[in-house]
Amino acid sequence: MDELDLLKKDWKKQDASYPELSYNEIYKLIHKKSSSIVKWIFIICIVELLFWSGLNLLVPEKYLEIYDKFNLRTFLYVTQVIHYSIVFIFIYLFYKNYKAISVTETTNLLMQKIIKTRKTVNYYVYYNIALYVLLSVIVNFIMFSNPETMIEALNPNNKINVSGAKFLNIMLIAQIIALVVIIGLLWIYYRIIYGILLKRLNRNYKELETLEF
Amino acid sequence: MNKELEHKFISEFQEHQKIIHKVCRIYTNNQEAHNDLFQEITIQLWKAYPKFRGDSKLSTWMYRIGLNTAITLYRKSKRTIKTQDFDTVLHRIKSTDYDNTEEEQLKLMYKAIHQLSDIDKGLIFLYLEDKNYKEISETLGISEVNARVKMNRIKTRLKTILNP
Repeated sequence: MDELDLLKKDWKKQDASYPELSYNEIYKLIHKKSSSIVKWIFIICIVELLFWSGLNLLVPEKYLEIYDKFNLRTFLYVTQVIHYSIVFIFIYLFYKNYKAISVTETTNLLMQKIIKTRKTVNYYVYYNIALYVLLSVIVNFIMFSNPETMIEALNPNNKINVSGAKFLNIMLIAQIIALVVIIGLLWIYYRIIYGILLKRLNRNYKELETLEF
Repeated sequence: MNKELEHKFISEFQEHQKIIHKVCRIYTNNQEAHNDLFQEITIQLWKAYPKFRGDSKLSTWMYRIGLNTAITLYRKSKRTIKTQDFDTVLHRIKSTDYDNTEEEQLKLMYKAIHQLSDIDKGLIFLYLEDKNYKEISETLGISEVNARVKMNRIKTRLKTILNP
């Protein structure tokens, strides 16, 4: 007999040996909580959406006063209005993609839709990072163009006893270090998210994709 | 969700639950993992049930959700990742049914199946369930030709394992 026929025969034979769950056991099962990756992705995406859109609110009003000295308030206000409109578009797209995920699709399409949903949020994070980098470059450029105003605003009455030039250097280095640290943390975070949650999904999706091309 | 629907679902599910056990059999290799996956598939079926229109057979619908959950949605918990002895899975087969070589062959084949990729497991599962290539391609979302090519590759692979 062919080996595969043998396997098939054995497979059919096993039918009788599977446990039969009772009505009550099934009832209990359907009231348990799902731990599917779609659920996890949803939670993580919501946290990310809230985190990035809430980041601005974490900055105390006092720190914003410095921007008045550079006449940057209106500029920042306008960018915020644009920013939140874009955030809104992202949330809408995320919701739309998330809702489209259906477990009754073909395996291929289901994976595509999950990846699409996740990508929306990835683009959202990239957008935020790009915006923060861009804004800091603009703001820094303006601030460093007026070094006297900046030293006066950040180090009033020369509280920290350093020369102006040295102070500017410290400011610049501190900002670069902060940027590197933040990007490093983000990189680790995404390695973890993708490592744990999406590695298997991506691998399976790739396998189906390579098959189709 | 209303009680009537719940009752209808449980009754129908009870009747077809073997399908889900079989999916778990292919994708897991110990009892704990089996139960874990079984639970997740059951929850997914119940969540999707209100939208089930009956335009396809309930069993077809269950095959699809079962495989989608196993391949895509299910997150193996830590405790289920540990490898287990494959022999324990085969304890059911009585030695009177098969001679020693056949039993040995089956053991090797199940072991080989457990080492296949998630997608390949899905294909071999549908093959063992006597699904035709049309159904296989419609479940996984690949073309019929590719399903056939891939299946032949798996079959050859399984055979070479037995006849090196």
